[in-house]
Amino acid sequence: MRVDPNPYPDLLADVALTQQQVNTDEQEIASGLSVNKPSDDPGAAALLVENAGQTSEADQFQRSVGSIQGEIQSANSTLDSVTTALQQAISLGTEGANGTENAADRAAIVVQIQGIQSQLLNLANLTYQGNYVFAGTATQAAAYVLDPNSPSGVTYQGNTGVNRVTVGSQLSLQTNLPGSQLFSGSGGNVFQSIQDLITSLQGGNTASIGTAVSEVGDASSYLSEESVFYGNALNQLTSQQTYLASDTTELAQQETTIGGADLPNVISNLTTSQTSLQATLEAIAQTESTNLFQYLK
Amino acid sequence: MSSLNASLATALSGLVAEQGALQVTTNNVANANTPGYTQERPVLVSSDPYEADPLTFGTGVTLQSVESIRDPLLESQIQQQTQAQGQFSTLASALAQTQVNFISSTSDIGTSISNFFDSVNQLSTNPSNLSLRQGVLTAAGNLATSFSTTANNLTQQQGSLDASVVQTVAQINQLTAQIAQLNGKVSTLENAGESAGAFGDQRQQAIDQLSALVDVAVIPSGNTLTLTTTSGSPLVIGQQSFQLTTQLNSVGLNDVYSQGKDITSQITSGQLGGTIQARDQQIPAIQAQLNTLASGLANAVNTVQAGGFDLNGAAGTSLFSGTGTAASLAVAITNPALIAASSDGTVGSNGNAEAMYALNNQAFVGGQTPTDYYSGIVFNVGNATANASAEQSASALALQQLNDQRSSVSGVSLDQEAANMVQYQDAYQASAQVITTINDMMYTVINMDTLTV
Repeated sequence: MRVDPNPYPDLLADVALTQQQVNTDEQEIASGLSVNKPSDDPGAAALLVENAGQTSEADQFQRSVGSIQGEIQSANSTLDSVTTALQQAISLGTEGANGTENAADRAAIVVQIQGIQSQLLNLANLTYQGNYVFAGTATQAAAYVLDPNSPSGVTYQGNTGVNRVTVGSQLSLQTNLPGSQLFSGSGGNVFQSIQDLITSLQGGNTASIGTAVSEVGDASSYLSEESVFYGNALNQLTSQQTYLASDTTELAQQETTIGGADLPNVISNLTTSQTSLQATLEAIAQTESTNLFQYLK
Repeated sequence: MSSLNASLATALSGLVAEQGALQVTTNNVANANTPGYTQERPVLVSSDPYEADPLTFGTGVTLQSVESIRDPLLESQIQQQTQAQGQFSTLASALAQTQVNFISSTSDIGTSISNFFDSVNQLSTNPSNLSLRQGVLTAAGNLATSFSTTANNLTQQQGSLDASVVQTVAQINQLTAQIAQLNGKVSTLENAGESAGAFGDQRQQAIDQLSALVDVAVIPSGNTLTLTTTSGSPLVIGQQSFQLTTQLNSVGLNDVYSQGKDITSQITSGQLGGTIQARDQQIPAIQAQLNTLASGLANAVNTVQAGGFDLNGAAGTSLFSGTGTAASLAVAITNPALIAASSDGTVGSNGNAEAMYALNNQAFVGGQTPTDYYSGIVFNVGNATANASAEQSASALALQQLNDQRSSVSGVSLDQEAANMVQYQDAYQASAQVITTINDMMYTVINMDTLTV
């Protein structure tokens, strides 16, 4: 059989193939990725798109949790202050209901409670980043305004709207309670009870004062019950943060599993390819062009 | 009865034939590295004998012809493999360019989709905040840009593939004209009983080049070759070549015509086949998927917008505009207050922003979520590229093996030529020696009367 007299095209094709393999290995090592373009592994490339989407979503949920956490914390501590103020009003009212107090004493108490009343109005008109927190979704106007014509002394300007924010693929969290539910709900009306307490103190009837004090007590306990919402929301946000952090870590691990370069393997491949490339080149260099012509004298 | 003169003529025929054979060897050696050159062999035959009753004497040797050593079956396999190689290498390199648009980056479509929905999620934490609203507009703008940039890149690539169709057709026409001309030269020589030699090689090489460009069937007819596309459109018949032409179609791309007939879809291999496949099938398929995703996303977002209220309490207007294609996708509003985040008309409501964010995980684009659909596109592009590249490697390997085989049949071996040279030289020397001997004998005969005993 006649052999191919020109082996060079084959050798050069081998060199090109090996060189290509060396380049691919080097790129994997440099980028740390086994999937640098979709054709490297189409299935993995598609999974990486999904993974990137999920990672981006988890990162965003973390940011959103951070954003609403501030508002909820602020609402929660404000409601604590409301409760404290109401407790103060109760003890002042109890003092006023005492038969030993005279009209001047009660007038002094009224002044103090009026102070609490305006403090409560301030607290109910809490703003966070320019939004009235307890105005439902009508956040651009104060939740409550003074209104001498209203029996409670104030009018609620907000609405009953609530917002929910998605902070997890399966978790949409309610972020607010309207003031009408917290401060002037059916189970207890903060402003009405304080106004009633002032009126009864001004009237001087100890029995009425006692009734007004227990009305404030009812409003306070109702508010505390409702405020649990914010505490719960904060707890949920904290546990969601923990979950999202571990989710992000897991997604990063998945990403490495799907598209990360198997470095020990790649480096070993690279060494093999380089050795093979060198060997081929040396073979070409050493292939002296020997033929019969050189031996004919 | 034989004569010295007859012997002299016989010896002379040896000298002439061996000189001719040596000429063939010389030509082989000279062309040892000429691409497409096929080794030649002298065909030596013994001359017709003459009878000198009762004996028959040989009259020497004739160099009857010089033949090129070629395996027609192998040549046809090489042509087919060259066609496949041309097709897949063109397709692979076209798709390698296409997939650049789908490599993960900070501005690829997948990332832009994520960023858009992320910005909407952020807006829902504080729906009246103008900078968050601006964030949504910016992300929407980036999303539209990602789509239109990718779509425009694909259209541009389609345009350059189209230009390459026209160029390839021109190359094909040049080669078929050349082959027709060579057909004439080969048949003239062969009809005269001579070897076509170099012309045959040139024709073969032109056919190989043509095979890299288009699917071609070679049918020997007499001393010429007839070439058609595999679907039967004539390219060369005898000494006449049939030009292919191009003509713009309704979408502004060039169709290929043969004898007034549109044969674009019948061209399946060679560089032209690969180019047409990328231009007319692969890229339009990706464009269609991009359009589905872009229009699906824009429509869904616009529908949600229309169901909500902007910062002024007015019903939402479309966020995206366009004509249903990825290339035309754009953001329709510039005022961030016009994003309809509110579901009840109040500024603090985020109900509609939440509804818009929910689209991120709704299967509304061809039964898939936007990200899933996009990952499907990435898979398709990657898969098509990987397949074309694998086919290209396989056909390159097969072609290399076939070329090795051809080289082992038709290539010039210097060892063999050296051996032949020695052989011809020896024979020449021997014939020359015979002539010297005959000369001596002649001398003897001529000087017979002057010889002294």
